[in-house]
Amino acid sequence: MNYNEKPTMQQEQAAVEVKTAFAEHLSQFKMSCDAVQDIERNLPAIANEAFKSALLSRDQNKIIQTDDGTEWQHDLDLSKISSVCHRRVAGEIEFAIVETLPLKSGKEMKEVLNSGHNVREVLKTFTSDQRQVLRLWKGDVKALIDEHLTEKYPGQDMNIVADSFEYKMANAISQTYDQAHSQSHGMRV
Amino acid sequence: METENENVIQTAPPPVERLAYSIEEAAQMLGVNYHSIYRLIQRGKLKACRALRGKFLITRDELIKLLKSE
Repeated sequence: MNYNEKPTMQQEQAAVEVKTAFAEHLSQFKMSCDAVQDIERNLPAIANEAFKSALLSRDQNKIIQTDDGTEWQHDLDLSKISSVCHRRVAGEIEFAIVETLPLKSGKEMKEVLNSGHNVREVLKTFTSDQRQVLRLWKGDVKALIDEHLTEKYPGQDMNIVADSFEYKMANAISQTYDQAHSQSHGMRV
Repeated sequence: METENENVIQTAPPPVERLAYSIEEAAQMLGVNYHSIYRLIQRGKLKACRALRGKFLITRDELIKLLKSE
C-alpha cells in the first residue's frame, strides 16, 4: 500500500467516524501521555522534593500500609492514585512509588510499584514502566480500530486509517520520551 | 393485554452470562480509568487474553477474582 497516496473520501469519513467511536480511549490516552510527560519533565524537582520530605519529616507524614504489609510514609502525590513514599530500613531511606487504586466494590488496592534508595532512579523506572503501559494500550486500540473498520467497511482497504491512529499514538509516546530525554541532556532532540 | 405481556416475559430468553469483557467494560465494572486496567495487565495483576486481531479481553473470573481478593 502506498501511504503517499491521498486518502479516499471514504477513508477520510472512516477516520472521522473512528475518532468519534474511540473518543474516550483517545482522550484518556492523551491525558495519560501528558501525565507521564509532566513527571518526566519535572523529574529532578520531584526527586528533590521527595528527598527533602523524607529527610525532614519523621513521623508526621501520612502512613500508607500496602497490600504486602509494609508501611510507607507519604511524601508527595504524582497523580490521584500514585505517590512517592519512603520508609527507613536499617538507617537508610528507601523510596517507593505506591499506587492506591480504589475499586467500585469498595476494595482499595495498595501496591508498591517499584522501590529503591535513589529516588531519581525510582521515578525513572516508574515513568519507563508507564511508557510500556502506553505501548500496550496503543496496540490494543489499534486492534480495536482494525476490528471496527473491518466490521463497518467489509472488503474495503482501511489500513491507512488504522495506521494513522497508531502513528499518532506512537508519536505521543515517543514525544513523552524525547522531551524528557532532551530535558535531561539540556538539548532538544 | 396483561396476558400478552405475561407471555412475552415468560418467553424471553434468560440473560446470557458473559465470559469475557473488553477494557472499557472492565474499567466500568471496576470503577477505574482505562490506564489503570492496562497498568494492572502490565503488572500481571489482571490476566488478559488476546482475541482475534489482538485486542485484549478479560475473563469474568479474572474480574471477580480481583474484586474479591484481599
